[in-house]
Amino acid sequence: MVTTKIDKIAVLYLDMMAGFNVAVIVKLEPDFSEGNVSYNPDGTLNRAETKNILGPHSAIAVNAAFYAKVRHGAKISIGTMGPPTAESMLQQAQILSDADELFLYSDRIFAGADTLATAEVLKCGILKMGSKMDIVFSGHRASDGETGQTGPQTAWKLGMTFLGNVIEYEINEQERTVRAKRLVRLQGIYDVIEEIEAPLPVFIAIDPSYKARFSTVSQRLAYEKYQREAAARAQNFKQYLKIFNASQIEADPKMIGIAGSPTIVYKVERIPKGKATRQADVIDGQDAEQVAKAVSRIRQALSTMVIK
Amino acid sequence: MEKYDVVIVGGGSAGLAALKQLSSLGKQAVLLEAGEKVGTKNISGGILYSKKPKKARVYNVEDIYENFLSDAPFERKITKYILHATSKDKVFSIDLTAAHNYEANFGCSVLLGRLNRWFLQQADEAAQKTGGGVVPGVHVRSIRWEDGRTVVETDELEDIETKAVIAADGVNSEIAFLTGARKKFSPGQLYQGVKVIVKLPEDIMNQRFSIGQEEGAAYLFAGDVTLNHIGGGFLYTNRDTLSLGAVYHLDSLLENPSEPYDLVNALLRNPMISELVRDEVPVRGEVDKNLPKEEQMRIRFAVTKMIKTWTELRGSSLSRTQREKMIRDGKFGSAEEMDEQMASLRAQMAEKYGIKFETDYVEAEYGAKLVPDGKRCRMEMPYIKNVLFVGDAAGRGIFVGPRIEGLNVGIDDAARAASAVARALDRNDFSDDHMGRYYTQSLEESPYTHDMKAIDKDYLKIFLDAAKGVPKDIISSKYGMVVKMMSSNTLRSFAVGFANILGYDKLLPIIETADTYVKVPTEMAERLGKPVTASYTPTIPSIAERIAKLKYNDDPRSHIKVLKPKSEFMEKMITLCPTRCYFMEKDGVMIQHEGCIECGTCSEETDWRHPAGEKGISYQYG
Ligand SMILES: Cc1cc2nc3c(=O)[nH]c(=O)nc-3n(C[C@H](O)[C@H](O)[C@H](O)COP(=O)(O)OP(=O)(O)OC[C@H]3O[C@@H](n4cnc5c(N)ncnc54)[C@H](O)[C@@H]3O)c2cc1C
Ligand code: SF4
Repeated sequence: MVTTKIDKIAVLYLDMMAGFNVAVIVKLEPDFSEGNVSYNPDGTLNRAETKNILGPHSAIAVNAAFYAKVRHGAKISIGTMGPPTAESMLQQAQILSDADELFLYSDRIFAGADTLATAEVLKCGILKMGSKMDIVFSGHRASDGETGQTGPQTAWKLGMTFLGNVIEYEINEQERTVRAKRLVRLQGIYDVIEEIEAPLPVFIAIDPSYKARFSTVSQRLAYEKYQREAAARAQNFKQYLKIFNASQIEADPKMIGIAGSPTIVYKVERIPKGKATRQADVIDGQDAEQVAKAVSRIRQALSTMVIK
Repeated sequence: MEKYDVVIVGGGSAGLAALKQLSSLGKQAVLLEAGEKVGTKNISGGILYSKKPKKARVYNVEDIYENFLSDAPFERKITKYILHATSKDKVFSIDLTAAHNYEANFGCSVLLGRLNRWFLQQADEAAQKTGGGVVPGVHVRSIRWEDGRTVVETDELEDIETKAVIAADGVNSEIAFLTGARKKFSPGQLYQGVKVIVKLPEDIMNQRFSIGQEEGAAYLFAGDVTLNHIGGGFLYTNRDTLSLGAVYHLDSLLENPSEPYDLVNALLRNPMISELVRDEVPVRGEVDKNLPKEEQMRIRFAVTKMIKTWTELRGSSLSRTQREKMIRDGKFGSAEEMDEQMASLRAQMAEKYGIKFETDYVEAEYGAKLVPDGKRCRMEMPYIKNVLFVGDAAGRGIFVGPRIEGLNVGIDDAARAASAVARALDRNDFSDDHMGRYYTQSLEESPYTHDMKAIDKDYLKIFLDAAKGVPKDIISSKYGMVVKMMSSNTLRSFAVGFANILGYDKLLPIIETADTYVKVPTEMAERLGKPVTASYTPTIPSIAERIAKLKYNDDPRSHIKVLKPKSEFMEKMITLCPTRCYFMEKDGVMIQHEGCIECGTCSEETDWRHPAGEKGISYQYG
């Protein structure tokens, strides 16, 4: 007992010396661009034939982590829960972030997981990454039918302070704090920017509008340097990749997969079209008469509007 | 404020060469490029030459990049250089390969997107060793001098202090204008170049142009395809694309405005060119509108995917190197296996989705840019204070007959500027006397500068000799000097001597006329040419379709402001803007800047800036 405790302290100490550690949790998503996506005759997605890629929101989270690397030389670990084919998606993530370590949590038992069970796997996975994380990043949400719950739930399970909708952040290494700007809705007003400061460690769900800003030549040169390193690393991404199953991340079987999922998707339905409350005239054609008709209707509409 | 010894503005071929050379000399330099990536804003014809002038040395591309010939992704070494005079369906050809080889080690076709990215890798690697490098996506706004310091201001980054600046920001240099180093170039000093990239599989190209794997052809066009403008057309073979373009004197275009795309279209419609660009093109069948929406979408996506697969596979199977690579990589057992797969894919496309295969041509990219005519606009003092100008920014380019050389000139300038700056750094003296004049002197010694001052009589002789096959009496005497020069032996040698005495200022009005570029070639074609017929009519995309294919990163703010909405010049821009950014409103000419491809044609009477970093046009081929 005593020895392990000392070991743990030693590891913690080493981590602090090693600098800044960040983790990113990412998600594999179908590529919805034309030419890559396939549909079944009934209009549902043909998952087997559709190419899978790093989800766009995940990519933004990865970019946000890269900012910590450029500015603070942070060590980046990226983790995902997915099938063995998710490897190439981790490679994409490494190209974007020059990640030092890639983790794929893959096990049949994970199948059928809802957001809570997924968060459990990710929590266990992050704890297995081997460093004490200063920041964990997640995307805002996934684009293939997800609710934006995985991030906050993982944060909660890790016991980390959760900062959502972050559009910009700065780390203060000495003070061990993070300053973040969040896009929030205040008393019904959208797009209010809230600035907050929080002690590390924190869990950040990054807003889709996040864009890393580098304001000096030396920062930009560092950015280019790590990008080059990333391209080189990603060529041999398997060197950086560890694949773990449920027992390797010490996940409790009751908390993961179908067993750990309190919700199941019963049926997905199209949102029914709302009944139009306005009347529409269809003006069709390119001749002068039709165009004139359209213009006059627009004029009419504009004249009734009060523009402040 | 951060400090760097040298700041280079602009990452075209000239700026990159300056960075490589300075870094090789052990000096620290950072290069700032406005484009989101290096190579996305540059456009050329283009043939990159390496030269061995008799008079004095020049810095060639392989002097700056030692591994150029073994490693660089240039397209093809040009081994065949032919001028085609056109009149309707008739073409008369004159072999000018000797002129192409004149004082040349080699001349290769290049696509700047690809080539500048390679230059970037080389230059950047060298620059990192001295703590420098390349920063793309940064637009330099101005340079200010205060308290003995030189400060570079950008739209994106904090100010940078530096000791010397190399301005390689191209023909529309803001640095030149803002610092007062020179006035904007006027239309009389400029040419407008418009170009399209046409896709053509490698094997088909080799066969059609009768060239081997390691050879290339450059065709030049004059005659009726010029639509009566001073200048001409070109068609260069790249690896698996063709560069087809038109370069016309801006003055001549202002006098008698033609839409730039019509000038390219005139080339495409010429039967000889139609045949050269011809290819097999899959055409989508109509999707049955009665099918459920989902099914329609599924079919549309499947068709896109199939066409993409087929096009890629066909490109590889019709390229020896790619074919061999695919077989080596185990993707296919043999070439026959590839052919079989193509055939079955093709059958499937036709049967299942009603895709038809038609004869047409495939256009990949449309672009335009001004070209400075060094004879008329090279800066005689290519510096101001501690800022040295190189390449197009200094108005340096050789424009003689079919010769358009800006790439090699810019590289030579860059090497000279790098030496001048390195010397100044060693002695810590950046004064006009020490650095600017030294650079100017070095440029004066460049044989290229000589070519911008006077015609090279040996070159002229080769040129005239090539035309000696034209019978003496073929063209009526009304066309004056040029024809006489070409059609008579005595006159030829007289012309050479004559050209030498006169110099450009007297010679240009005689040579650079519609006679030379339009009437004489047209008449030659009519009287001597062979008829060529086209087997199809190319489907030429509209300008809207061409613009739709380009990649832009929109900037909501306009980088161009119209200053004189009612001027004659601006009215002509409605016709002369290659992407139709100008239109007439009741208060005069207005701009819609979103489609601007930053060619610079409208620069003279506008407040013209390059867009902010990463914004604006992003060329794929260049
Ligand atoms: C149609 C056509 C055909 C041609 N054919 C040939 C040919 O066959 N052979 C030949 O040798 N030459 C040819 N040329 C000329 C040749 O292409 C040019 O001379 C050459 O590309 C110029 O290189 P450069 O580096 O000086 O300028 P550019 O390539 O124009 O580079 C300038 C760079 O500076 C950047 N920049 C500008 N302003 C700023 C700023 N404020 N801040 C940061 N970055 C900035 C731009 O984004 C750009 O990347 C041709 C040109 C055209 C248009
Ligand atoms: S707006 Fe001016 S610079 Fe832009 S494409 Fe048109 S003519 Fe060229």
